[in-house]
Amino acid sequence: MPALNDLYKKYKDRAEFYIVYIQEAHPVDAWQMDVNVKEGALLATTKTLDDRTKAADTCVIKLGLDLPALVDKPDDAVERAYTGWPDRLYVVDTNGKIAFKSAPGPFGFKPEDVESTLKRLLAGGGSQAQRLTGSETEEAPSPVL
Amino acid sequence: MKWLLRVFIVIAVLYATLFAVVAVAMMQPPVRFGQFMKRMPPALVWGLLPAQSMWLRARAGTLAVGQEAPDFTLPRYKGNGAVTLSAHRGVRPVVLVFGSYT
Repeated sequence: MPALNDLYKKYKDRAEFYIVYIQEAHPVDAWQMDVNVKEGALLATTKTLDDRTKAADTCVIKLGLDLPALVDKPDDAVERAYTGWPDRLYVVDTNGKIAFKSAPGPFGFKPEDVESTLKRLLAGGGSQAQRLTGSETEEAPSPVL
Repeated sequence: MKWLLRVFIVIAVLYATLFAVVAVAMMQPPVRFGQFMKRMPPALVWGLLPAQSMWLRARAGTLAVGQEAPDFTLPRYKGNGAVTLSAHRGVRPVVLVFGSYT
């Protein structure tokens, strides 16, 4: 994910970045994919926080991510609240409101979409609430078939 | 001509059934959806159905731009305590990247 690392490098002094490591999309005990077998990424569905932290190791190290990571608890509560699986991007503004929500992955995972929101939020001037009511597009789903 | 109509109806019913089954599966929790997809020939789903728009709809979620972001406290990967989302209020915007490796 070089695009994520680039974004992080560019904005880390002005925004917080967190990976929220959630349940694997293609664990060996469910919907395993050939590409993961080839890469040796054989991760099982995780049921405890320990297991999940170990699986997060593979994720953070293999993807070479520089961003700080958090581990969703085995109850998947945060994933469910945000509909984060299999992957998704959000930006939360300084009022604690959602400023950007991507479409669900794998179709909606485009780190470059985050940048325009960050630029807007960091531009300063005017209250954030005012900027939020602007005509900003809510979700940017990729072209529908 | 009657047999042609019958064939058409059978195909239409099969297609509608496939559509409904996959649509319901997409709304299941991740692990259950994964177990369903494991048993499905991918060509049937991605080839025959408008699977991408079905997916975007099924996983649209309940949160919208402008709404309060649900607060959470999650442990940091590799220890060093936990992070609470609301602690960043009034300080800096937060980018959340949900994901896994596979």
